[in-house]
Amino acid sequence: MSETSPIQIGAEGVDAEAIVRQIQERVAERRARGEYDEATVARAERFNLMNLKDDAQFLERYLACLRQAVQVDIGDFEIVERRAHAAPLLRRLKRGIWSLLRFYTYRLWSQQNQVNGMLLAATEIIATRDQERLDRLEARIRELEARPGAAGKPS
Amino acid sequence: MNAAPHAARQELPRIAFVAPRLAVDGAVGGAETLLFNLAQQARAAGCDVTFLTTCARDHHTWANALPAGETRHDGVRVIRFPVNGDRDIEAFLRVQEAISAGEPVSDADEDLWLANSVNSRALEEHLRGAGAAYDRIVTGPYLFGLTVAAAAVAPERTLLVPCLHDEPFARVRRIARLFREVRGCIFNTEPERALAVRLFGEALTAPGRPAGIVGFALPPFDCDPAGAARLGLTAPYILYCGRREPLKGTPLLVDYWAAFRRITGRDVKLVLTGSGTAEVPEGMRRHLIDLGFVGESEKHDIMAGAVAFCHPSVNESLGIVLLESWLAGRPVLVHDRGVVLREQTRRARGGLWFRDYPEFQESLNLLLDHPELAAALGASGRDFTRREYSPEAVQARLLAALR
Repeated sequence: MSETSPIQIGAEGVDAEAIVRQIQERVAERRARGEYDEATVARAERFNLMNLKDDAQFLERYLACLRQAVQVDIGDFEIVERRAHAAPLLRRLKRGIWSLLRFYTYRLWSQQNQVNGMLLAATEIIATRDQERLDRLEARIRELEARPGAAGKPS
Repeated sequence: MNAAPHAARQELPRIAFVAPRLAVDGAVGGAETLLFNLAQQARAAGCDVTFLTTCARDHHTWANALPAGETRHDGVRVIRFPVNGDRDIEAFLRVQEAISAGEPVSDADEDLWLANSVNSRALEEHLRGAGAAYDRIVTGPYLFGLTVAAAAVAPERTLLVPCLHDEPFARVRRIARLFREVRGCIFNTEPERALAVRLFGEALTAPGRPAGIVGFALPPFDCDPAGAARLGLTAPYILYCGRREPLKGTPLLVDYWAAFRRITGRDVKLVLTGSGTAEVPEGMRRHLIDLGFVGESEKHDIMAGAVAFCHPSVNESLGIVLLESWLAGRPVLVHDRGVVLREQTRRARGGLWFRDYPEFQESLNLLLDHPELAAALGASGRDFTRREYSPEAVQARLLAALR
């Protein structure tokens, strides 16, 4: 967190645009280090994806969100008990229930994770192939337009 | 009120403002509030003003809930007319859904959609008869049958207050005709005017055709951040006031705020005022404070006590609540894709804008960590609002547009 440069907020007046630019740069740096790669961020973006659909980087961001959210989390987590009375006993009981749940639903979740992973891989392959095809077509158009006699070019 | 001198008043136009609703309890949309605000400003500038509206209160049913006839509201002469009772709501919804989905719609279906939107034959009759005395008819917002019908009575005298958004309804051919046939438009902001030109052509801003930017008059008000503490708002909070619905971006705001709490561990509440429901993530309910409808003075106190006012909508033609937040001295956080709100914020230097969650998180952290920055942004926004949206400034721009 502290490795990124501090944001200059300026002493004379407020330059909101400059501050926003610095925030964007800071986010880009942190994103490159994988700091926002977590399922909570991916979930928070579910309504924002509609706003980004015209963005050139939309597909990239969408796939990043998918990658972060694709695995159903079946890892252990801290089990707490707020009721002070008999807390250790209740915690043990909750842990026991969770272990049973995980044991009996493991096949279900692992299959779901496998399907999610395959769907993501398929989507990424389609996106990569489409992008390569578009790149080839654009290169071809540029080549044709550059030829003498093409529209707007002296022959 | 700075009424014009008698001699000048003789030259001021007689104006009819036409809007689908005028609720006595203030529970109407922003566009209707804007139309009435403009009517008040025209009257304050010395014009002879009549506000024509329907008897409806509810924009879903359009039921005639208020008595027809003449009355006065905040000093303005108001005449209410009944909404037509023979609307084919099924036909209306069928076409509306097709338009919303971007499906091709025939001319006949466009006419059917407008004919079965909110309309009032009695109001149209008034405009055709006694309405000949009005020098100008100012009507809006653009997407209601009533607006289109009122403009059709005397397009050469009509000024449209479109409150235009970049949405499928703006691509209806009949709406494009409305924009081209009226005398001119009164826009709220430069991005709204630019959108209209992009959708309907350069002719909209041709020399001699009114296409001015007027906006919403907002006199300064007193507010006290301590008032928020008296309401129990003691922890830092971000605020949203208005309708809660996907189009306004409230689900996004709730998700971002919940993610912010989870990721940063900072105790920042979300305070909501206004109507509608909000789906709150598991475990966050006790940190979201829903105050429902609050009075204006209470709202201003709550604004003054907020870390920032957050308006994530990407579909606005003017952010009245942003102006209020700035007058309360607080900065705003808006979505980068909401061109109107972002441009308003950029011009006012009154806040920050974000494209996605990480930028939202960094912006909010910055405002929390640097209260002096938040105060400076709020103060800059307040200066901007006082300069650009004072009643005097709005009246001058409105009179120029009405000529």
